[in-house]
Amino acid sequence: MSQKQKLLVVKDLATTFHTPSGPLAAVGGVSFELEQNETLGIVGESGSGKTVLSRTIMGLQPRANVEVRGSVLLNGFEVVGASEKEKRSIWGLEVAMIFQDPMTSLNPVMRVGKQIDEILRVRLGMDRPAAKAKAIELLDLVGIPSPAERYDVFPGELSGGMRQRVVIATALAGSPKLLMADEPTTGLDVTIQAQILNLLEELKERMKMSVVLVTHDLGVVATRTSRIIVMYAGRIVEMGSTRDVFYHHRMPYTRALLEGSPKVSNPSHTRLLAIPGRPPNLLNLPKGCSFAPRCSFATDRCHEERPELEAAGAPDHTFACWNPLPVKERASA
Amino acid sequence: MSDTTQPLLKVRDLTITFGSRRHQLSAVAGISFDIYEGETLGLVGESGCGKSTTGRALMRIVEPSSGTIELEGIEITTKKGKDLRNLRTRMQMIFQDPISSLNPRRRVKDIVAEPLDCWKTVEGAEREALVDDLLSKVGIDPVAYGERYARQFSGGQCQRISIARSLAMRPKLLICDEMVSALDVSVQAQILNLLEDLKAEYGLTLLFIAHDLAVVKNVSDRVAVMYLGKICEIGPSDTLYESPEHPYTKFLLGAALEADPGSPVHGEVLSGEPPSPLNPPSGCRFRTRCPNATDKCANEEPQLVQIATGHQVACHYPLSTLTRK
Repeated sequence: MSQKQKLLVVKDLATTFHTPSGPLAAVGGVSFELEQNETLGIVGESGSGKTVLSRTIMGLQPRANVEVRGSVLLNGFEVVGASEKEKRSIWGLEVAMIFQDPMTSLNPVMRVGKQIDEILRVRLGMDRPAAKAKAIELLDLVGIPSPAERYDVFPGELSGGMRQRVVIATALAGSPKLLMADEPTTGLDVTIQAQILNLLEELKERMKMSVVLVTHDLGVVATRTSRIIVMYAGRIVEMGSTRDVFYHHRMPYTRALLEGSPKVSNPSHTRLLAIPGRPPNLLNLPKGCSFAPRCSFATDRCHEERPELEAAGAPDHTFACWNPLPVKERASA
Repeated sequence: MSDTTQPLLKVRDLTITFGSRRHQLSAVAGISFDIYEGETLGLVGESGCGKSTTGRALMRIVEPSSGTIELEGIEITTKKGKDLRNLRTRMQMIFQDPISSLNPRRRVKDIVAEPLDCWKTVEGAEREALVDDLLSKVGIDPVAYGERYARQFSGGQCQRISIARSLAMRPKLLICDEMVSALDVSVQAQILNLLEDLKAEYGLTLLFIAHDLAVVKNVSDRVAVMYLGKICEIGPSDTLYESPEHPYTKFLLGAALEADPGSPVHGEVLSGEPPSPLNPPSGCRFRTRCPNATDKCANEEPQLVQIATGHQVACHYPLSTLTRK
C-alpha cells in the first residue's frame, strides 16, 4: 500500500473561524492520507467538523475571518494558501465535490444539460456540439433514463434522486481523481439512497477515482468504505480500517455511536446505549479530551490533558483516548 | 394484543384527497388498521406514501375524505367543536422539527403548562408541581431550565420539552411523526430510550411514523408498510422484518443500510421511483416496479389478506407462496 503514491495527504490541518464571540476551532489538527482508488468514510455528528474539513480540503472556505493552518497536498498540489486562480486549475479536474442538497447545488433556471456543458467547455475547452454529446453521455453514465431528452429539462422537473444523479454527472465531467461526497444521500428515500450509493461505487471503479464519503450515517459507510475516520468536536478520535473501527474500536465515543444507533437485526425494544449530554461548544472546548464530559470512563487525566492519536495494534488503526476500551479478541485474519 | 381485545384506535377505509375536482390527489387511498392498547404500531414508507397525512388525519389536522376513525369506541370523524377539543386531550402528536414546534419566545414552563391552562384542570401550586414533574420526567431540570426560553435549547432538548407538553393531559394515544429523524445518533438514542420509559410509565399507546426502518423496528410491536397511499403489509415487527411477504417490504428492507460491515450489501436494488399519486397505476400500485407483476396485478387490486396470525399482506403473489412453487 505504502509504495503507491498517496493521492491526498492532509497534515495538521486546522480551520478556525473568527467569530464575534471569539475563535471557533471547527477543525483542529487533523492528519490523514488517502490512497488512489480508495473510499474513505468520515463520520461524525452535526458540528463535529466533517463538512468544514471536506470544504477545507477542497479549498472552498472564504478568506474573511477564516484561518487555515497545516497542509493539504492533493496529488502534489498544495491547497492551503493557494490563490483562487491556482485552485481553479484543480477544481473539477483533480477534485470535485457533491453536496447534500441536490436542489441548491444546481441552478434552477438553467437547463441541466447546460450546467454540465459549462464545465466541459470552460474547463476542457470543448466546442458546443462536442460538449453536448459528452454531457448526454455523462447523463447516461449516471443512469438517467432517456438522457438526450433530459438534457433540456430544468432541475425542478426532476425528482431528488435524479437531481443528485445530475450533480454527480457535473462532478464527473472533468474526470476528477478525487470525489468528495458530503452527505450525498441524506434527504433521499432508502431505495433511492441505495441506488445512488451503488452508482457511486460503480463509478469509482470505472473511473479509477478515490471517494471521500462524509456522512452522519454509520450505515452508509459500513459496507461502502475501506477506511473510516470518526470525528468529534473537530478532531479525529478514531481512524482505521472499516472492520477495525466497527468491530475493534477502542474509543468510547465510537462505541456510543455504534451502539446508540438502532439496527434492523436487533429485536424490537432493544435498549440503546445512550450517552448523556451533547457535543461541546466549539467556542469553548474543554481543556482535556473533548469527549470527557460525556464519557463514563473519564478520569482526572482526561479532563486535564488531551490524548493524541496512538496506534491500536492493527496496521493504520489509531485512536485518541487515555482509557480505551479493552482489546477484543480478533478473529484470525 | 390478541384479536379479542377491543382496539384503542380503529381505522376503516380511510381516504384523504387533496386538490380540486380536476386535479385530485389521493394521499391516502383507503387504509384500515387497528392499534391495541399499550402497543406501538410503526408506520413506515418512503416520502409521499401518505404516512404523515394518516397521522395528521387521526388528529383531525387534515380532514378525512371518507372512512371512519374510532378512538376508544367513539367515532371521531364527525365530531366538531367542543366534542373534538375534548377528544384531542385523549391523543397528542409530536412532530419532526422540535425547534419549530415550540414558540421560541415563550418560557419552557409555560409551554408545558399550556394544555393545563387551556383546560384549567390544575391550578396554582398543583400546576407548578405537575409541570416540574413532567419536565424532570423528560430529563430537563425544572429549577435550572424551567424559566428559559425555548430558543435557548438544542434540538434534542426541544424534543424533550415537546414530549413533556404532549403528556400534560395524560393522553392515551401518542402520534409520533418522524420525531427523531432530525436528531443526531447520540441524541436519538436518548430520546428513543426516554420514549420507551415514558410509554411504560404512562401506559401509552403509540403510532410511530418514520422512514427509518431500524428506528421503527426498535420501538414497534407491529409495523405497517405504506406505498403510494395504501398499506401493503402489516404484521408483528419481528415476523415482518424476518420474512416479509410483500415484494415492496423486501426491497425496502434490502435497501436499509445496517451499521455493520459484515452485513450483506443489498443485492437487488429497486429500480425507478414511485409513480405520481396524481395518476396512480391501475390494480396494484406497486406493479410498475415489481419484478413479479403479471396482468392480474394490473387489472385487479389486491386487498389486505391475513396470511398468518396478525400478519396481513396486499399482494396477489405473496413471497412465501412464490418460493414454495
